[in-house]
Amino acid sequence: MKHSSVLAVLLFALPAFAPIHAQAGPSQPDQTWLLDQSTLSYHMSHPMHEVDGVSHAARGKGVCHAGQCDFLVAAAVKSFDSGDSNRDLHMIQTSRGAQFPIVSVRLRLPQAALASPTLDCDIDVQFAGNTAHYSHVLFHQAIEGSAHHITGTVPATLTDFKIEAPTFLTIPIKNDIPVRVDMVWKPS
Amino acid sequence: MKTHEWMRARWAGFFIGGISLALLCGAARPATAQQDGAPGVTLAALADSPTLPDAPLPVAPADSALERAAAQSSNASPSAQSPAQGSQPPTQGEPTPPGAPSLGDLGLTPADTEGSAARQAIMDRRTHMLKLHQRLGLITVIPVAAACISAVGAPPEHGNYGNTTSRDIHVALGATAVAMYAWTASYAIRAPKVSNEHARGGVKWHKYLIYIHAPGMVLTPILGAMAFNQINSGQKVHGIASAHAGVAAATAISYGAAIIAVSWPIHLKF
Repeated sequence: MKHSSVLAVLLFALPAFAPIHAQAGPSQPDQTWLLDQSTLSYHMSHPMHEVDGVSHAARGKGVCHAGQCDFLVAAAVKSFDSGDSNRDLHMIQTSRGAQFPIVSVRLRLPQAALASPTLDCDIDVQFAGNTAHYSHVLFHQAIEGSAHHITGTVPATLTDFKIEAPTFLTIPIKNDIPVRVDMVWKPS
Repeated sequence: MKTHEWMRARWAGFFIGGISLALLCGAARPATAQQDGAPGVTLAALADSPTLPDAPLPVAPADSALERAAAQSSNASPSAQSPAQGSQPPTQGEPTPPGAPSLGDLGLTPADTEGSAARQAIMDRRTHMLKLHQRLGLITVIPVAAACISAVGAPPEHGNYGNTTSRDIHVALGATAVAMYAWTASYAIRAPKVSNEHARGGVKWHKYLIYIHAPGMVLTPILGAMAFNQINSGQKVHGIASAHAGVAAATAISYGAAIIAVSWPIHLKF
């Protein structure tokens, strides 16, 4: 009898020890990331010229919620400096920068992947009024304290954004305009 | 005996009831975490609904970063995003995920994100005119070079002022060079100005060299005409007219340097 009563008490008491979590799944805190420093540089190639245009004026923000992080990086097209003001103005004209002044990049990453030394990203780039999707773009990450130093190259091309290749002496520039990315992100 | 059996049945009932209650409480855990009504009602609703309701969003403390970010997102002018989308074609098939940051969140104002088709049209016209300037400038190299080459035979040889053929060819080529130069320059002068920024890079030297070849292109034909008249009147070229060759050479060299400067740096790789 005593055993039965103890058993019954335990059975009634069992539910009180059941997990109380409202939703199952790993609990990761919401987090916001801000782009602290950046260097974006495009490379243009022609038989007579090799040009790199560099921008340090990019802005970025990342919001992590429910285990997923959404990042946005944006820079003004006119902030890219190739060292020649005339060339930069022509670049703005060719890339329709007066009509579409911002180039932006969006990507989504699992929050758990933010500590990985290599980030495999699918990114969407909006530039010159068009959007291009790049899959499996690899970025290398070095974590120094709270700062995440990320480097990589986006394999952009002129045709991705429907940009007509400018010519010099009737020879067009190469279609490939890879954009090298060097960023430092810090949690907000 | 009857009492024992009754007691046993009673405890068996408790046992079965306890197990049943434990099972039901485990399944009902997600709902009971959020409900504040009668447990019975919640359980009944759960039994009917196929999907579980979401947990309520956490309420950020006042003046927290989360609340500031949310306020910034909600207060961001719609023009910070939609005109960017309006003047830029809507992202094709790529809507902004809910909760993802927007251009306004980055501190970009409508002035930063709004484009202008009118300004783009001006830039297009500028590029078109400068392309013509470039093309004509390269073509002008031909009569300039030809005039320089024909200058070898322009002076009278050994006092022979009668043969004017070489001189006439030189005059014609020189006049053509000046006319082409003026036509070339007109496109650069009339091209719309889109920036007040100081010239940087090779184009800076291209603009500086204007101060040499532009007055040179004016002086050279004037001095050449003076020299031509002196020769035609049987005189040896003298005075300021004798500077015609030097001024022409300096003009031609600075013109060639201006063409190279605007393309600098040049990396030849074929």
